[in-house]
Amino acid sequence: MSSPNSAGRLARLAAVLCAGATLATGGCAPNVHSSAIRGTGYIRLDDVVKHHPLYAQLTQLDDAIAAINLQVVAPQVPLSAKQITAQVAVLNGQLRAAQDRANKILAQKQRDYARREQQAVSAALAAAGVRGSGASAAQQMSGASAQQAAQAEQAANADLMAYQQNVIAQDNAASSSVAKQLQTQAAQKYRAKAEQLQQNETDLSLRLTQQDAATRLAVKMKLNNLALEPDARKQAQAQLAALAAKESAALGAQRNADEATLRAYRADLDRQTGGAIRSQVGAITAQTRVKLEERRDQVGSQLRSLGPPSLPANLPPNVQSRIAAIHKQFISQFQADASKTVAEYNDTKTDLDRQFAALHGADVGATGAAAKELQALQKRRSDLYQQIVAQAERDARRVAKDQGFSIVFVNVWAAAGGYDLTSQVIKDIESQHE
Amino acid sequence: MKIRSAILFAGALSATTWMASGAIAADLTDVGYVDQADVANLPVFVNANRQLASYKSQLDGQFNAQVKHVKTDAERQQLALQFQQQLQDKQREIVGPLLQRAQLAIAAVSSTRNLSVVVDKRIVIYGGQDITRDVEAVFTSPQAITPPVATPPPSEIGFVDQTVLDGVPKVQTANSAMNQFETTQRQVYAARMAQARSSSEKQQILQQFNKTVADKQDQLLKPLVDQTRSATSAVARKKNLVLVVDKADVISGGTDITADVQNELAK
Repeated sequence: MSSPNSAGRLARLAAVLCAGATLATGGCAPNVHSSAIRGTGYIRLDDVVKHHPLYAQLTQLDDAIAAINLQVVAPQVPLSAKQITAQVAVLNGQLRAAQDRANKILAQKQRDYARREQQAVSAALAAAGVRGSGASAAQQMSGASAQQAAQAEQAANADLMAYQQNVIAQDNAASSSVAKQLQTQAAQKYRAKAEQLQQNETDLSLRLTQQDAATRLAVKMKLNNLALEPDARKQAQAQLAALAAKESAALGAQRNADEATLRAYRADLDRQTGGAIRSQVGAITAQTRVKLEERRDQVGSQLRSLGPPSLPANLPPNVQSRIAAIHKQFISQFQADASKTVAEYNDTKTDLDRQFAALHGADVGATGAAAKELQALQKRRSDLYQQIVAQAERDARRVAKDQGFSIVFVNVWAAAGGYDLTSQVIKDIESQHE
Repeated sequence: MKIRSAILFAGALSATTWMASGAIAADLTDVGYVDQADVANLPVFVNANRQLASYKSQLDGQFNAQVKHVKTDAERQQLALQFQQQLQDKQREIVGPLLQRAQLAIAAVSSTRNLSVVVDKRIVIYGGQDITRDVEAVFTSPQAITPPVATPPPSEIGFVDQTVLDGVPKVQTANSAMNQFETTQRQVYAARMAQARSSSEKQQILQQFNKTVADKQDQLLKPLVDQTRSATSAVARKKNLVLVVDKADVISGGTDITADVQNELAK
């Protein structure tokens, strides 16, 4: 006769039996040889991968790959050939305007300096008490030579300016190429180091979980026993928590150490790269300075060869030397002033050069670097995926062996029979990593 | 008494069912697999691939020289097709006989072992019969391989040809719409990405892009995938198959249910 009590006892007995089976096989195993299963199992690998503890890292890699793919598309989007032609025309217009502006300013400055020199000479003559024909002749001579000197200076300065532009442009291009190259090298080194450390962390994480897998599984099985005494259950739970804490601490310590290593490495790289850039750019700038100084000296000597204004012989020597000094002073002031205008023009030109380069796809190099990074990320992704799949398959093989399956497939298209081992494998993987 | 009789009857029924299933349901033991990557590493295949690579490199040189003289995209496409055809002809000439011999070797071993299906190693993770070494031994032997007289026994492992299912009009339309949508969105989000200044902004744009594409996939493709899987399961049940795999993973034997699934989908 059956009664509620006996039914309850039967249910408890069933639970205990089931728990016993759990200890033996890791769960209430299916009848794998039934007509529906025929000893055949399968796992949905994609679902197992999604439950793996390293899936978050896999997703991060996928995101990084997708981001690069998205960025690589970008340069094709914004401008058509027609738009580029129109923008080049605008930039060319801006460049011509900048050149004209610089030339006008220089011409105006030359006139101003010539006028002021003439006034200074007159004042010097007046102060020296030179009057009449001597003064007039001196002024005329000075005026005439000032005009000649101004013309010569104008030509020489235009020449110097063109030369400066050319040399500075070369300097800029060389410096920026060197800096870019060194920075790219540094970025590659940093990335390689970061990847290496991340790989170490991944390896450690796997190693730790594998080390404790057997213990963890044993404890989990014990916990699955419904008849386990509360004290023993607490103890088992504490044991699991201790395992998790131990692994987490080891991983945390490794991460902290890696972060510190990476920070130090970054600082070191920055120092090295900064030093190398300063040294190489310094050498280029020094060469440029030497070239410009040589050219300035040449121009200066050409201008000096025109000599100070030839003055009448009857001028006292101190007045002659005073006038020569005034001439020298104005030439040097003009040159300094003109250099500022040239520098301003060069700044504008450099900026426009950058815009030209961007328009003509000068960031093609970035695409090359992106392609390299993409390749590295894809390799890391593939390695990590293989690692995850290998573990999933190992676990599936173990479950299949424990439960007596004859064959287990992955990635089946559809199932009309067989036994889906996916959730068991997921549970197994999760229990090892909890 | 009645209860006791019922229990006894249930016990008898259960024993009958157990015995019946034991009699009918023998485990699948006639499934073999081959490690195709291992076979591809046999010296004859390595040499053949080397020859083919060298021929391809010659063709690439010729193509690059000739493509300079073409004026339109259509001409370029025509030229590319012509070279592609040449490469395929050479591939048939060099690798074709080897693949044919490999197929014969697999069929011979499969027949000897009475296998109903031979699949690629990558889809079997436990059990099954690994026939790779046997196949390699037959393949590399100097003798001619005699094709087996008997056809493989009927298999409870079915397969579908995914490429054929992709050709079903509604699947084709959905795939094409999805590709177009993704291309357009890629350009839209790439432009936004180019404007982004911080990495968090870029991350946000990427997430939006992924979500937009995923939502569209759910809308356009998921119903079709579900429909195809359910049609495949229905056909598999009708034909008493245990599992259905992709044709690309089947090397020999198996039950082809592509046409049946195609018909189900066309309904």
